[in-house]
Amino acid sequence: MSGAAAECTGAMPGEATLQAADIQHVWNVFLLAAIGVAGVVYVLIFWCILRYRRRGDGLPPQFRHHTVVETVCTALAVLIVAGLFALSYASEVRIERLDRRPAATVRVTGFDWSWRFEYAGGGPTVTGTPDHPPVLVVPVGRPVHIDITSADVDHAFFVPAFLFKRDAISGLVSAFDLVVTRPGVYRGECAEFCGLDHAAMNFTVSAVTPQAYDQWLRERRTAGQPQGPAASGAGSP
Amino acid sequence: MSTAATLAAPGPRLGLLGWLTTTNHKQIGVLYMATTLGFFVVAGVMALLIRADLTVPNHPIVERQTYAELFTLHGTGMIFLVIAPFGLGLANYILPLQIGAPDMAYPRLNALSYWLFLLGGLVLMSGLLTRDGAAAAGWVAYAPLSTTGSPGSGMDLWIVGLLMVSASSIMTAINLIATTLLYRAPGMIMWRIPVFCWDMVVTSLIILMAFPPLAATLAMLLIDRRLGGHAFDPSQGGSAVVYQHLFWFFGHPEVYVMVLPYFGMITEIIPVFSRKPVFGYTAFVLTTLAIAGLSMTVWAHHMFTTGAVVNPFFSAMSLLIAVPTGIKYVNWIGTMWGGAIVFPTAMLFAVGFLLNFLIGGVTGVMIASPPIDFWAEDTYFIVAHMHYVLGGGSLFALFAAVYYWFPKITGVMLRDGWGRLQFWLMFVGFNATFWPMHMLGLWGMQRRVVTYPALPGWGTANLIASLGSAVLAAGVLVFLWNLWVSLRLPVPAGPDPWGGYTLEWATTSPPPEFNFETIPPIRSERPVFDLHHPGAAS
Repeated sequence: MSGAAAECTGAMPGEATLQAADIQHVWNVFLLAAIGVAGVVYVLIFWCILRYRRRGDGLPPQFRHHTVVETVCTALAVLIVAGLFALSYASEVRIERLDRRPAATVRVTGFDWSWRFEYAGGGPTVTGTPDHPPVLVVPVGRPVHIDITSADVDHAFFVPAFLFKRDAISGLVSAFDLVVTRPGVYRGECAEFCGLDHAAMNFTVSAVTPQAYDQWLRERRTAGQPQGPAASGAGSP
Repeated sequence: MSTAATLAAPGPRLGLLGWLTTTNHKQIGVLYMATTLGFFVVAGVMALLIRADLTVPNHPIVERQTYAELFTLHGTGMIFLVIAPFGLGLANYILPLQIGAPDMAYPRLNALSYWLFLLGGLVLMSGLLTRDGAAAAGWVAYAPLSTTGSPGSGMDLWIVGLLMVSASSIMTAINLIATTLLYRAPGMIMWRIPVFCWDMVVTSLIILMAFPPLAATLAMLLIDRRLGGHAFDPSQGGSAVVYQHLFWFFGHPEVYVMVLPYFGMITEIIPVFSRKPVFGYTAFVLTTLAIAGLSMTVWAHHMFTTGAVVNPFFSAMSLLIAVPTGIKYVNWIGTMWGGAIVFPTAMLFAVGFLLNFLIGGVTGVMIASPPIDFWAEDTYFIVAHMHYVLGGGSLFALFAAVYYWFPKITGVMLRDGWGRLQFWLMFVGFNATFWPMHMLGLWGMQRRVVTYPALPGWGTANLIASLGSAVLAAGVLVFLWNLWVSLRLPVPAGPDPWGGYTLEWATTSPPPEFNFETIPPIRSERPVFDLHHPGAAS
């Protein structure tokens, strides 16, 4: 796990999934816009507090508004916001698109305080505990369909390296796709506060080649579905 | 300059019975603000315990249950018992003065509001004394964690306490609106009331729209818990998603209840210390109204990750609300532009507000984008964002307001030297505490965890945050010391120590029981300035 830890932090993680590449791109543009706008505003504020110190008793000009400045600023703000919305919307449509023929379909159930991964089509079921976090094995480069729900209180399935989370809510099944683009072992956690062991409600995503994935599926079928974390190891981070 | 001879004598000093039975808006305002100071210290100590717990990876120092109680009561306390009610308390004191009224419209309702607020706050916190401990489901109290997941009576006390506080807020909102609409002095048309009063009227409108749904939601929660209801129980046809909708339909407007009053306060302070009128008064009022309208349409941006809401609509509305908020920066910069600026402590804190709130503003735009929110939601990035808005923003404006109006309320000055020290400690401490949380969130550290693994960078960032919180706390201690020193060795303030613009500066400090003997003519939104500068164009 120590070798995987660096890639599991999510600190500038590169793009571990197709969706993460999209999210990273949106983030980069928003960050640039934020730095640009905040930079201009900071320069103006510091200009004011340095340049317009009180020197003597005279009254400064008592102007009360400036229609052109106010209108231009409003228009600029609307334009920036509209551009950001267009970018964000287009990206969200791509992120939330569901592939009609996923390579794997997994039902993810959060419960106090671990996760259950049920592979559709007679595949294995992996159930974890706080001390033995479960492993979600997925094929690299193929769309994986996730249906997520909760057996009790709200949870959230969060893989920092994927820059993505989705809530697990009882009574609601919500669906998303992941296409992991880089083989590896990724740290996952519960992001929605769910009680005492919230901080220990971890899991691992193990992204392996499609061949290795198929072999893992076969082994799990013949091994009669033992419970607990996969042999590939990744214990608690 | 008004001479003391034309001013009435200050109000009489009150005994204990006087404070307990008062219906005067000024005394109720003081009670409100003193109470929020008490709750601020309590909720602040809780925050320090949270930071102490998180200083080192894998080494929690409090029990998991205690930790959950701490962040629940810290959040609930700061939001419902400090930031929101301080605005109402200050308005209680200042708003009638600023519009030239003798008192609030309904003085006895006003007293009821205060006592309900105090009692509600104590009930809310009293869960700490029960065997099962206080509420521990976070300040959002998502069902089913807050129903079947929290069997102890602490949760019930939390709900009942909040019901009382919300009833109190609704009463105060009605009172502030009625006072402003009905009790303005002759000449004080709505387009001449100070910006702070506009912000309080709009805040009150938001309270009237948002708090009844909160009260209903809390009542449903209580019915689910104790009377066999199933509103939020999916196994019986209820919905956990509906709880989130109801809560945030209140919860996001509540953010503006915690922000608009503070916009108003610094918009009183910046013009006075820049010696200029507020730039774009009309634009300021219109953008405040726009924020109030938009604030009712953005709630589900707290639910982007549920997969159960129409994300693009709520994203568009949330991005749009940045426009009127951004225009306010045009107002504030335009007010300082070309001015003659001085920097007593109040102005320092107002500029600190501008610098900090901006960061909370731009990160708010970021997380209004659903793709970014998929990453940042429920991580420390959100904790950073929200503290830059409410801590670096509202709390800094709160101290600006305290330094600005303390002389009016008590008749004595707060020490400027201690004030400056407090500002710099708080400014450095605040940014050291909350800036690293942006990084922690992006690295994947989720909220509300009692401990965290030793991943690269996490230990360092958390250590800096914890050290920063100690510096921040030192700033607050300096403030308490300043209060003590300034009241023990009083430096008289006189009626108008700042060259103020609005009517509260035309009476004594503190003002007499019914505020004014005579009121200067009101020809603009700054009648006292007009009085002192008859030649200046207004």
